[in-house]
Amino acid sequence: MINVTIDGKTVEANPGDLLIKVAQENGVYIPRFCWHDRMKPVGMCRMCLVEVEGIRGLPPACTMPVAEGMVCHTETPAVKQAQDDVLEFLLVNHPLDCPVCDRGGECPLQDTTLAFGPGESRFVEEKRHFEKPIPISDVVLLDRERCIQCARCTRFADEIAGDPLISFVDRGGHTQVLNHPDHPFASYFSGNVVQICPVGALTAKPYRFRARPWDLATVETSCGQCAVQCRGALQSSSNRLVRLLGVDSDAVNHGWLCDKGRYGFEYVHSDARVREPQLDGKTVSWPQALDAAADALRSARDLHGAESIAFLGGARGTNEDAYAIARLAKGVIGTDNVDSQLGDGLPAELILGVNRAAIADLDTAAAIVLLAPDLKEALPVLHLRLRRAALECNVPIIDFSSVPHGLTREVTHALAPLPGEQGKRAEQLVGALNGNAADAIVAAAAATIAGRSGNIVVVLGRSNLAERSDATVQAAAALAGLANVKFLSALRRGNVHGALEAGLAPGILPGRVTIEHRDAVQQVWRTAPEVPGLDAEGILRGAIDGTIKTLVLVGADPIADFPDRALAIEALNAVGTIIALDGFGNASNQRAKVMLPVTMFGEKSGTTTNLEGRMQRVNQKVSPEGIAMDDWRIASEIALRLGDDFDLELVDEITAEMIKVSPALAGATPALLASSHDGVRIPVREHATEIKVRKNNAGLLDGEGAVSWEPIKADVEAVDVELATHESADESADESAGEAGAAVIDSGETPSADKATITAPTAEASATVAPTAASVLLTWNRIAPSVSLPGRDAYAVRLVSGPALYDHGNAVNASASIVGLRGPSKLLVSAADLQRLGVTNGTEVHVASAKGAFNIAVHAARGITQGVAQLAMGGERGANALIDVGSSATDVRVETIQ
Amino acid sequence: MGLAKGFGVVIRETGKKKRVTTLYPTVKRPKPVRFHGRHVLNRYEDGMEKCIGCELCAGVCPAKCIYVRGADNPVDAPVSPGERFGFVYEINYLRCIHCDLCVEACPTEAITESKLFEFSFTNRNDAIYTKKELVVDDNGRAQRMPWEHWAGGEDDNTSAWMRATSSSGQAAYEDRVNWSGELGFGVRSAESGQTADSMADAPGLNEGDAHGGHH
Amino acid sequence: MFTDANKKRATEIVALYPKAHSAILPLAHLAQDQDGWLSPEAMDEIADYCDTTAADVQGVCSFYTMYKRRPCGNLVVSVCTNVTCLVVGGPEVLERLEHKYASDHDVFVEEVECLAACGNAPSMQVNYEYHEHLTPESAEQIVEDYKAGRLVARGVSGGLA
Repeated sequence: MINVTIDGKTVEANPGDLLIKVAQENGVYIPRFCWHDRMKPVGMCRMCLVEVEGIRGLPPACTMPVAEGMVCHTETPAVKQAQDDVLEFLLVNHPLDCPVCDRGGECPLQDTTLAFGPGESRFVEEKRHFEKPIPISDVVLLDRERCIQCARCTRFADEIAGDPLISFVDRGGHTQVLNHPDHPFASYFSGNVVQICPVGALTAKPYRFRARPWDLATVETSCGQCAVQCRGALQSSSNRLVRLLGVDSDAVNHGWLCDKGRYGFEYVHSDARVREPQLDGKTVSWPQALDAAADALRSARDLHGAESIAFLGGARGTNEDAYAIARLAKGVIGTDNVDSQLGDGLPAELILGVNRAAIADLDTAAAIVLLAPDLKEALPVLHLRLRRAALECNVPIIDFSSVPHGLTREVTHALAPLPGEQGKRAEQLVGALNGNAADAIVAAAAATIAGRSGNIVVVLGRSNLAERSDATVQAAAALAGLANVKFLSALRRGNVHGALEAGLAPGILPGRVTIEHRDAVQQVWRTAPEVPGLDAEGILRGAIDGTIKTLVLVGADPIADFPDRALAIEALNAVGTIIALDGFGNASNQRAKVMLPVTMFGEKSGTTTNLEGRMQRVNQKVSPEGIAMDDWRIASEIALRLGDDFDLELVDEITAEMIKVSPALAGATPALLASSHDGVRIPVREHATEIKVRKNNAGLLDGEGAVSWEPIKADVEAVDVELATHESADESADESAGEAGAAVIDSGETPSADKATITAPTAEASATVAPTAASVLLTWNRIAPSVSLPGRDAYAVRLVSGPALYDHGNAVNASASIVGLRGPSKLLVSAADLQRLGVTNGTEVHVASAKGAFNIAVHAARGITQGVAQLAMGGERGANALIDVGSSATDVRVETIQ
Repeated sequence: MGLAKGFGVVIRETGKKKRVTTLYPTVKRPKPVRFHGRHVLNRYEDGMEKCIGCELCAGVCPAKCIYVRGADNPVDAPVSPGERFGFVYEINYLRCIHCDLCVEACPTEAITESKLFEFSFTNRNDAIYTKKELVVDDNGRAQRMPWEHWAGGEDDNTSAWMRATSSSGQAAYEDRVNWSGELGFGVRSAESGQTADSMADAPGLNEGDAHGGHH
Repeated sequence: MFTDANKKRATEIVALYPKAHSAILPLAHLAQDQDGWLSPEAMDEIADYCDTTAADVQGVCSFYTMYKRRPCGNLVVSVCTNVTCLVVGGPEVLERLEHKYASDHDVFVEEVECLAACGNAPSMQVNYEYHEHLTPESAEQIVEDYKAGRLVARGVSGGLA
């Protein structure tokens, strides 16, 4: 630490920190436009000129690292004059169209001019003119007249997103930001440039003219589009969601959002929403619908036994939703045929039972092992974090992908296994670390790992949906044997981790325990399953062979999402009764006897859990469409009709009960969740020291203070949180439930920090609460299934498939702004295979597997191995029409069309 | 006796002084110049609406009676000059306190207040004036709703306001009272010399040219 | 699109640099010499060679005025009108040439700042080859000589690639 004097106040700073940042952290705001904490400084705008003793002239504070004994003045007449002059200069060409500008009212240039600028301009000449907004992509408009050339957008596109599709063109007075005429700014992260633009030069089409800053109401929440669960500020005007801004969370998203998250909430207000309950296709009242659902479940249970009932889904809502569904299925009905993953994930024992890494662990890892689908498509902001770890923190990436992906450029060692051989390759890597390398690439990767200290972080997801998960599990088993390895789950579906933690998987109960440890839930639940049930594949096969007679779809669409579409269609046609809890009608629930409309993103509050096991509060912003109801309330109403009164009225009561029966959540309370910054990580006791509590929430998002262009940050401090025992958690929930429940609806206010500190657990109390012992928590047994790949004939290509960001799900289909961004499906093959077919790029070819066939355009892609083909999931021509879920690889024949 | 004395005063005075009561509503007294009445949304001479949907009026309204939504101007048939136009404009007269802050906030002088205050409603929906009622007609005159009682001159001169700067951006006009003499469309006259004191000289206030800008 | 010969040349140029990104400027010269200007398609192709995006190439190339981003024929005539040339007749040369070649798609006449040939003003460049001591007539004759092939022009980039 060194000492720096800023405006007469001596403060401590780290050597090398930038003066502007040190000043800000010590309460001195130096005006700026170009500097952004998450990007490298450029010194473009000259707004942050300050006086530093001993330095001639006025250096910009954003490029000036602090040094021992530095004395800096930010308010001298010379600095004031410089600020005046710079602002007058910036305003020379800035049009005064603030009234029609989307930024007007929250504009940094407006605010800075008011605070630091001259009252008048001496410039009377004509300003420079450009064509008013030109689209630089399908969602971003550029008004070059308003641009002040701070380079925030171009730097973001290049440094952070890795899509340098916009740059400065021309020079001098004609300098402008522009994309290449043939290449729109089609980045998955394009919305971020709109958020960080310090003027209204970049505006978003979906938000254009929709509202003004002063009629927005804001709550802080987490995005639910993928399992990263980026923190965001959700804004509404006239009870409609209009904007989502990224909140700067050190732990999760660094303030960034992907475009799907940023604009994809439009589905909430879509006309396609189911707004009222339906019974046999006719609109009915809630009591009628709930009675019908309960009757169907009761008669199925009485006639065919609880095992004839299955639940699919539950990964879309909150933890509370998932818990209530789990309690309904396992604790009331008594079936264990429950799966929140639709054959597109990994075994719950694996995800819950390994040593889990946090996203931030990527930055300090010895190496990152990438055993996951294309993260740019699946988990875009995690992709940004990996990019940062590789480029900023110089962490080597060891890649197990069979096909090129968004991070290919950043990969240090590509082990390039053929599809289905990830396990074999991982065993080779482990072998190389133990001294016997199979080949040079593996040896080099092992040497890289050995040469660095820290944890190996394995990003573990389903790398290929066109094969069974066995090869991935085998690879994970091999890697889990290493001493210092941690796993960062890369499962994709919104709240799938929350659903798994809540017990929505066969053989699992809430709180990371198997059904052997029933004692915790049996404090509350009437029953609990004794033998593990079926997973999604088993449930669908059971529906076909008649053992599953009633299927409850909790926001699940197996026909669209299950990797084997043919199997899903057959199953849903075969099953006797379907009960659907969903916000949308879809192919899977069109036959539903009872359709129960549920609340969606922004319409409900509760908690969600992201891929690192971080449990955070999500908040309600608008009232539900129609008469939609929260999933948890539906579950509790059905349970009541089945004779088991949950006696839960408020969402915080559910949270409290969930904590009470979940060993992994022991120590948390609803109040702690509400006031903790960046939530709590599960298991809570293991991560208690990481918990930070907000000093005040008001400064962050009180409606007035939401400055979107600067990283939105809360005032936090690390406090010693004394974790609650189960008993006190229960009490505190009762105390705070009403308060917190009411608060989240209006302004995102949370109970004050001191509420989080709950009475210390006495030794006696800890001892009597048995389930809190860490030993009951699930540990993965590392048993890997053996993988036997079928032989591939010379005319077939082996398929690799993963999700696309703009998929065919409801969130995209019903969001007008992003549905158009979804490109046509195309089959990617190697140049050699394209040549072998004798066709050119873009030609339609016929692809066929044992399960299906269709025509699709074929393209050659760099980096694909010969004999491998890549095709995204979903849609008419999606890989799920070809995949046979029973086979450990999907080979497809590609033929030219005569 | 007292009674006769009282009548005496009445009889004596009858016919001596000019009558001060007016035969309202057939005759109306002239309104004070800064009287705030029912709003109008003005147009330019070419028929384009001045409102750009910026919502500044709604933002400043202390009674929260204004609801505005902007939208992209249709390229082939623009409603107002520029990118944006007032797509929805509603004033709820059950809430409006006629403070005139909306007029001061308006950057394009789209909204001004006439002198009309005599209007009443028989249902709440009628109290919400939309663009249909607020936008001036093709002659630049306020539309006269059946439930409004207009008299001559009430739609001649509209609001006055204090300025931070003039619309040309010159600080020399700071704090001077400006009069929007015109109702409806027409080019606003030069700003020189417009003060409260020299109101009589204010161009457009006494001249017919303010409404004279017919195509 | 680069011709086959230029594709080979482009590959050679890229190989000269430790980072492919560094080859943007020479490749832009190469493309401009081939096509007479730097088309958006050419920038796209250069981006492929240099492992970057077309927007990046466009940004770099638009910074330098010697890269022409609209077709400018085979001859780029740059006439100086800076102080010395201004005094001794540069503007007249410019006016004569601009008028004469206004509709000639082969010749692109531009006004430039000082060419550092003040000693022999007025001066101009034809595809970056100097011509000095000009009169309007001699300037026109020189351009005509180039057009007729009596003088041999370098590429529109001055043959830098």
